[in-house]
Amino acid sequence: MAADTSVHPTRAPLRGRRWRAIHYHQLVVASLMALLLLPIAATLVYSLSNRWGATILPDGFSLGWYLQLWSEPRFLAAFARSLLVCAGTLLLAIVIVVPAAFVVFYYYPKLDRWMNLLILLPFAMPPVVSSVGLLSLYADGTLPIIGTPWVLLGCYFTIILPFLYRALANRLQSLDLHSLMEAAQLLGASAPRAFLCVVLPALRKSLFAALFLSFSFLMGEFVFANLLVGTRFETLQIYLYNMRSTSGHYTSAVVMSYFLITLILTWIATRFNR
Amino acid sequence: MSFFEIQNLSKQYAGRPVFQDLELNIGSGEFITLLGPSGCGKSTLLRCMAGLSRPDQGSLFMAGEEITHLPPQKRGIGMVFQSYALFPNMTVQQNIAFGLRMQGLSLSKQHQAVQEMVELVELTGKELAMPDELSGGQKQRVALARALVVRPRLLLLDEPLSALDARIRRHLREQIRAIQQRLGLTTVFVTHDQEEALTLSDRIVLMHEGKIVQAGSAESLYTRPASRFAAQFIGQFNLLTATEALTLLGRTVNGHLAIRPESITLDPVTPSKLKGRVLDHQLLGNVIRYRIDCRGVILKVDALNRDAANLLPAGHEIGLSVAEPELCEVA
Repeated sequence: MAADTSVHPTRAPLRGRRWRAIHYHQLVVASLMALLLLPIAATLVYSLSNRWGATILPDGFSLGWYLQLWSEPRFLAAFARSLLVCAGTLLLAIVIVVPAAFVVFYYYPKLDRWMNLLILLPFAMPPVVSSVGLLSLYADGTLPIIGTPWVLLGCYFTIILPFLYRALANRLQSLDLHSLMEAAQLLGASAPRAFLCVVLPALRKSLFAALFLSFSFLMGEFVFANLLVGTRFETLQIYLYNMRSTSGHYTSAVVMSYFLITLILTWIATRFNR
Repeated sequence: MSFFEIQNLSKQYAGRPVFQDLELNIGSGEFITLLGPSGCGKSTLLRCMAGLSRPDQGSLFMAGEEITHLPPQKRGIGMVFQSYALFPNMTVQQNIAFGLRMQGLSLSKQHQAVQEMVELVELTGKELAMPDELSGGQKQRVALARALVVRPRLLLLDEPLSALDARIRRHLREQIRAIQQRLGLTTVFVTHDQEEALTLSDRIVLMHEGKIVQAGSAESLYTRPASRFAAQFIGQFNLLTATEALTLLGRTVNGHLAIRPESITLDPVTPSKLKGRVLDHQLLGNVIRYRIDCRGVILKVDALNRDAANLLPAGHEIGLSVAEPELCEVA
């Protein structure tokens, strides 16, 4: 049989290698996505099923668990408390961290080194250990805030401080901050007005990205909430923990609801931030 | 009376003097260039004039009023930065309108003024573009429009063209000069590029190590450098020592003798003329620069590039002459 000279002798093996390379990467990505999404998918299916025993698929589907959940006053109150604490923490963080980052980068750039050390401290301390310290400090004495949302506000602030500061610091480093401020001042703006009109809008995207991340993190925070406030200020995660011995379908509906709300809020904020 | 006066101005950073006891007067409508190598203090002087740096000593006056301690936003000075400093989250028209917004002008007046500026700097059609969508030349024109729209009394430009390629730079500096003349705006331009200084300025102020070494028209600085530094910085002067001047030209000088390359004429060898031997040449476009060994002294000689066939080869013997008025004694 004559050789097929119309095909380059090395083209077939190259095509095979390329095909395998592309499909290998797709396989890796698909496997990773499946690994991440499978537990969420399973939780979703479980929350929509009437009963799911030792069968591959549930016995039936309904929205009954969601209807029960969203008409439960205790759940709604816990959810509202979580939202309140998260929103309060984010607001406190914006008011403190944003001006602080600007002052560091504009007036005292040498302090950035010390700020980088400071923001590492929350990671150095396990939550359980720092909770013990907070309990001894604030259980009584001049500032007895254990069991109140105020201790959570302060505690959550330290948790999100590294995310917020780092995001702002990275953005401020990429801006020619001094030239921007000087240009604004030469055009008639005072330093505070230049910060509000020029620098803050330039920080918006980084700030919002850090806030979304922090919001998701805080909504799922359990250790500090359980140890510092417990049932005296029942957040969503405490409620979920307290409901653990009730129906798994019900708790799955709680998880999916909180997941969905966080997703929707983040999506709305992303659209708003464009 | 001068429009802008700098009196006994001194500034130092970390104990090191940047400039000391500087004195300079700028006339109304004048285009002044502060020229000098990096680190000579020209940008720091500009920043002191703008109010962005506080001088340690001395005074600044504008239109008879002392402005030494006035904050930048109250001086009525516009500035164009080397890095453009465009506000990244604003469109071109928002950038240009910023100063008018700070002045509290109505939106319709802002829009009208912005449109005029956009046409002046030839950016029509780019009003809604963001800074990162613009080329370097376009960004610089936005920065210029933004500084001009608030009708400053004095315009400062801190090496605004240094980040641009040669062709854009040439076009923009002509545009800057045309706009400055049209508006009659007193302007101070900082650069280390002598070509920019020579083509743009009514007057050049040459600085070196924090001092003004020479100030005058482009013509006077170029043809009559006052010092060895000026001769070395402006143009491509041949600097002959006293010994070399005596050997080659039979002339006694106290310091150095500066001769411009284009002042030396190349002629056929004759007994009465100075004789030299061509070492090599460089093609600089419309000019050919020869290096010629003349009794051990290497001279740079520029000739117009008229005919490639008549390039003088290396080793060629040539006669040289230079007119007496072209010789310049420097310290």
